[in-house]
Amino acid sequence: MNAAALNTYSRPEMATPVAIPMTVSTGRRKLVNVRQRSLLVAKLRTLWVLGVFALVGVCALGRIAFLGVTGVTPRHGSIGDLLIPDRGTIVDRNGVPLARDFRVYSLWFNPKAMTEGSSLIHSPAEVAAGLLRIFPDLDRAELIAKLSSGQPGYLRKSILPEDANKVHALGEPALEYPLEATRFYPQGSMAAHVLGYVDSYGKGKVGMEQAFNDQLVSAEGRAAPSTLSIDFRVQGALEEELARGMQLSKAKGAAGVILDVDTGEILALASLPSFDPNHVKPNDMVVTPAQAALGEVPNGFNRVTNQVYELGSTFKPITVAAALDAGTITDLSRRWPAAPLHVGGFTIHDTHHYGASLNVLETLIHSSNIVTAQIADELGGVRLKKTMESLGMNERPYVELPARGFPIWASGEWPRLRTMTVGFGHGIAVTPLHLASAYAALVNGGVWRPATLRKLGPSEVPAGRRVFTAATSARIRQLLRMIVEYGTGRKADAPGFRVGGKTGSAEKPGAGGYRKHSLIATFAAAFPMDKPRYVVISMMDEPQATEATSFQRTAAWNAAPVIARVVPRIGPLLGIMPDETRDIDVSDLKPLIPGGGKEE
Amino acid sequence: MNLTSDRVRSIGWISVLLVCGALTIGLTLRVNAVKSQVADTEKRIVGVQQDIDFLQTEFATRSNQQALRELNDLEFGYKAPIAGQYIEGERQLAALGVAPGPGAPAPIRYANAEVPADQGAGTALLAMVSPVTGAVAASTPAAGSDAKPAGRDPEREQLARDAAALGQRLAHIEVAEASQQ
Repeated sequence: MNAAALNTYSRPEMATPVAIPMTVSTGRRKLVNVRQRSLLVAKLRTLWVLGVFALVGVCALGRIAFLGVTGVTPRHGSIGDLLIPDRGTIVDRNGVPLARDFRVYSLWFNPKAMTEGSSLIHSPAEVAAGLLRIFPDLDRAELIAKLSSGQPGYLRKSILPEDANKVHALGEPALEYPLEATRFYPQGSMAAHVLGYVDSYGKGKVGMEQAFNDQLVSAEGRAAPSTLSIDFRVQGALEEELARGMQLSKAKGAAGVILDVDTGEILALASLPSFDPNHVKPNDMVVTPAQAALGEVPNGFNRVTNQVYELGSTFKPITVAAALDAGTITDLSRRWPAAPLHVGGFTIHDTHHYGASLNVLETLIHSSNIVTAQIADELGGVRLKKTMESLGMNERPYVELPARGFPIWASGEWPRLRTMTVGFGHGIAVTPLHLASAYAALVNGGVWRPATLRKLGPSEVPAGRRVFTAATSARIRQLLRMIVEYGTGRKADAPGFRVGGKTGSAEKPGAGGYRKHSLIATFAAAFPMDKPRYVVISMMDEPQATEATSFQRTAAWNAAPVIARVVPRIGPLLGIMPDETRDIDVSDLKPLIPGGGKEE
Repeated sequence: MNLTSDRVRSIGWISVLLVCGALTIGLTLRVNAVKSQVADTEKRIVGVQQDIDFLQTEFATRSNQQALRELNDLEFGYKAPIAGQYIEGERQLAALGVAPGPGAPAPIRYANAEVPADQGAGTALLAMVSPVTGAVAASTPAAGSDAKPAGRDPEREQLARDAAALGQRLAHIEVAEASQQ
């Protein structure tokens, strides 16, 4: 049938070679050509496709072989590099982390996550309601404003992983929760003034974060933690007791420092009110001009190293030590007249009348300005100034912190009245840290060493400079112990810890002279007095006369009890066991006070 | 196809080469597989370490001083111990004990069966016989009695040393001041 068809097809062509069939046959031949050509093209294309597929296969195989032979792509650095934080950890002297990097989720609004149409699937109000269910403390109006603004931004920083899951369940692509490295302070507001904080640009501010900034971001500083001299248990005890004392006396602020007398290491440094470095608020660091005019300072202001105060009677032991050293006091039983002293149109008073005359011990026990002024006068301005200079009272305190206050210090030759007032701690304003370093020199055998917040190894302890002789220092230890045993410092005594120290209550200068009811109440203590190891300073800024302080404002009623509560807490932590059978021997001085002291 | 010895040799060489090449490739593939396993493990280590850091931070935060203080205020009310609660040494601890009154039950005493460590040595010595005289070594009992107090002495010394160390620890401050004077 096929052949027949072919024959019928070809026959007219053969029989009559006319024009019409010719054209028809040409068309048919063309058709055949077209068909063949398109078949060829199709085959070629198939071949091409096959070739491409083969090439891809070969490439893939080659790549597999290459990977197999050369191994995976080289890793960037070692495994250790991945674990090194962006910013070094800060630890206390026992290795407890005080500041560390921490990866947290934050809630970020990215309006460009949806490529077309509205940036949110639901309405901003609905999304805000959903977010409020997860974070009830967010502000609804603010949230809606942020979501409808179309501007990318943080909705919340640091959210919990489970909250991130809940945000994911809201089903909004525009709500992102990137994992970000932030700075975290596990102890919260504790030691905030020592540590400082890290701002949103990653720069350390205020405390050691600022002082150590370069070190913390350097390769070595990131690999190994930076160790502070702070002991967080001691710091916690100091802050707690200061806060308690501040609350009881309704003081405006409080400050405290604990210093190792032999090395100058600061074991605790507290300034209250404090701030939380995890959530620094704008008003933590600045005050309004109106507040500044009232003498207010922001919470971030370090009262221990930055604020200078006239620390009052706590200077008296320094004056006596200088006089003992200079040889102007050779006999402690010598009596000095205690009548109000008129010098250059100015009268020096005592708070109470203690009798017609006082010896040196009674002067310190009763804290007599009049006799101390006479001792300072006899010593002379030149020698007193030299002692103060060698105690570093004429320069900023030695500590690594960036905020260090410059003392109010009279340069040049001191007139007689200045010498007298400096003798009892007026007319000179220093930071509480200055006082702590000076007391360390008073009790440690007479060597002044700079304070430091860096933990020192046994070989790193500075030699220091000798300010007092060892004999003077031994005598001062006896005197300080007797002030606590028999004098104004009785409320600072902690049984068994052999505390010695001196009160100081100075009126704050205000507009038009000193303000009678604004006091700076300080207690400078050292313990244990038989072998002093630590100096503890507590200071209350403007304590009020409350029931808890027996309606008194002076240091004996607010700053001293803080010492009595802090020392028993920190002593055992620092290796000092209380022992009521030990004490410094003061038997040679006891005859100097009538009947063992009955003063208030 | 005629196989001359030359051709056989070259075919042999080529096949050896091919086998070696195949083995090398196989080995390389294996090495790289292990390498990528190591890389994966390291990644896991980093992840676990980050989890550990996270948990450590969480524990530190939950147990920070302020939290502990609040817990203490609420729950325990612990205060710093006073001087009378400290004990100077074992002697003071023993002094706290009260002499038994009349009719008091006899104190329970503990005994432990001490196996003398030198017993074995003693028998060994007993078995020693002088090769010259044929006499048994006579000094063994003496040696045994010597060894016993010697064995007890370190114990006593240890006790004495501990007591001294306790005193030393309590008088920690004296040591510290000696360095600065």
